[in-house]
Amino acid sequence: MTNTAILCVDDEVTILKSLEIELHNAFGDTYLYELAESAEEAIEIMEELDEEELKIVIIISDWLMPEMKGDEFLINIHQKYPHIIKIMLTGQASEEAVERAKRYANLYRCFSKPWDSRELITTIQSAVKQLQ
Amino acid sequence: MHESKGTILVVDDTPANVRFLVGTLAEFGYNVRPAIDSQSALVGALEEPPDLILLDIQMPNMNGYEVCTKLKADERTKDIPVIFISALNEVLDKVKAFGVGGVDYITKPFQVEEVLARVKTHLSLRSLQKNLEEKNEKLALTLQQLKDTQDELIQREKMAALGQLIAGVAHEINTPLGAITSSVRHIAKFWNNHLLELLEFLQKLSPERQSDLFGLLQTSSQHNTFLSTREQRQIKKHLVSQLESHNLDNTVKLASLLVEIGVYDNIEPLVPLLKAPECKNLLDTVYEFANTRTSIRNITTASERASKVVFALKTYAHYDSTGDKVKAEITAGIETVLTLYCNQLKQGVNVIRNYEDSLPSILCYPDELNQVWTNLIHNALQAMDYRGTLTIGVKKIEDNLRVKVTDSGKGIPPEIMPKIFQPFFTTKPPGEGSGLGLDIIKKIIEKHQGKIEVESVPGQTTFTVFLPANNEQ
Repeated sequence: MTNTAILCVDDEVTILKSLEIELHNAFGDTYLYELAESAEEAIEIMEELDEEELKIVIIISDWLMPEMKGDEFLINIHQKYPHIIKIMLTGQASEEAVERAKRYANLYRCFSKPWDSRELITTIQSAVKQLQ
Repeated sequence: MHESKGTILVVDDTPANVRFLVGTLAEFGYNVRPAIDSQSALVGALEEPPDLILLDIQMPNMNGYEVCTKLKADERTKDIPVIFISALNEVLDKVKAFGVGGVDYITKPFQVEEVLARVKTHLSLRSLQKNLEEKNEKLALTLQQLKDTQDELIQREKMAALGQLIAGVAHEINTPLGAITSSVRHIAKFWNNHLLELLEFLQKLSPERQSDLFGLLQTSSQHNTFLSTREQRQIKKHLVSQLESHNLDNTVKLASLLVEIGVYDNIEPLVPLLKAPECKNLLDTVYEFANTRTSIRNITTASERASKVVFALKTYAHYDSTGDKVKAEITAGIETVLTLYCNQLKQGVNVIRNYEDSLPSILCYPDELNQVWTNLIHNALQAMDYRGTLTIGVKKIEDNLRVKVTDSGKGIPPEIMPKIFQPFFTTKPPGEGSGLGLDIIKKIIEKHQGKIEVESVPGQTTFTVFLPANNEQ
């Protein structure tokens, strides 16, 4: 049974749905796919998954979202979950924000929208390989 | 010989009179041209317009009144003053002389002093008038230049604001573009790789499973809107517990699949299928179809979003050079600006729209009004540092539309309040604002015969714009 998950965070449902389909196409039942429309909701999900003893391996997060922004969110969770691979997927992010995320959240990679699907998938694959 | 005091055309069919007038006036420094009949007078006046015409009334063919009427009817000669010449023994119709446009008359026999005095008076009047005309022309030109400069300033301010927005606008387009490319990729993949497989799979199914599959496809096509991720998780949890109560395995994954397919509740009829060995393949098949549907919906939603942004950009950047007012909805303009600021608003601004129902369209310059809304919204966002509440109210009050833009920002200090509408006044650091924003929008509103007011206390600043709503042109 699957006990690892990929968490996608974006305030656009169309992006979340596209990502979910894309990830499912690539990884099938290897992971559970969790979607959150805000950083706050993502943190909520992470707490729930902790209780269910499900492990998140990757977070793919947008940068520009209402309330908490992507870099702040990733830095936040990095303190509690340093091992999660953090990827940013954004339509526009300030360079400082990406720098901050790299320095304080060990950001693995930043993709711009529209993104290259193959690149995203191979990045995830190689990141996961590093983990093992 | 000294410089000419002016050019005079003397028209008289009596050679002695012409000689006398030409001689006398030339002696006093005037440049004099003679004409001995009405025809040559008209030709002479047209070819080289003099500053003054002395015109005999009694002439063969065409009398002085007629000549004068013709001169006054022609744009090129109408402003040349005409003094009539009349013999004392002739009956001078003074009323007619002035009626056809004459400015004065002199009578024969001539008295030199009188002729000179009248000529001098009218020449100086004419020169003053010319002077005035030139000055008026210059003023009109300056005014037009000022207006052009102002229009250009408005346009420049607008484009400067657009420049600041463009990064955010890029995000607003890249995001839907991301969803579109990803979804199209999925549909293409489904079509190329899975469609045949699925059709084959379908043929191998038992009639019972086939009807399960059709049932599920039907369920899946009933849902047309996206659920929020929260709603989805809620449903998923509910499904997991239902699935567990039927002693099924792998309930979390199964619940995920069911939610994606569109089964939100009531799994009882599905239990035989869920327990069948083909279950996984069958659900995966329906899931593939459901995903394709989701992709199509993604594309539709995202394209609409992108079009909306592009449309707002186009509307905003539009510059109407005809200078005519057009009927337009005020709220449409406000929405255009809000769409362009969507990105900035998303960072923590709650927008409350209080638009009254069935507001009338008004005759206005929509492009320029967009500039007003942009400035007011931009200032409001800056005043509250992109966090807080922006309230926009539009209401018809008697013959006006009243637009109120309220922010929950720090407020305008009373000491700078009297200056905010002054040109070049700015609280922004050099390079960020020209200080022309409020000055320009005040001018735009005045051009609409409207007015703008401001009220501010910490936590609540309101700019109120009144625009005439029944300004029929």
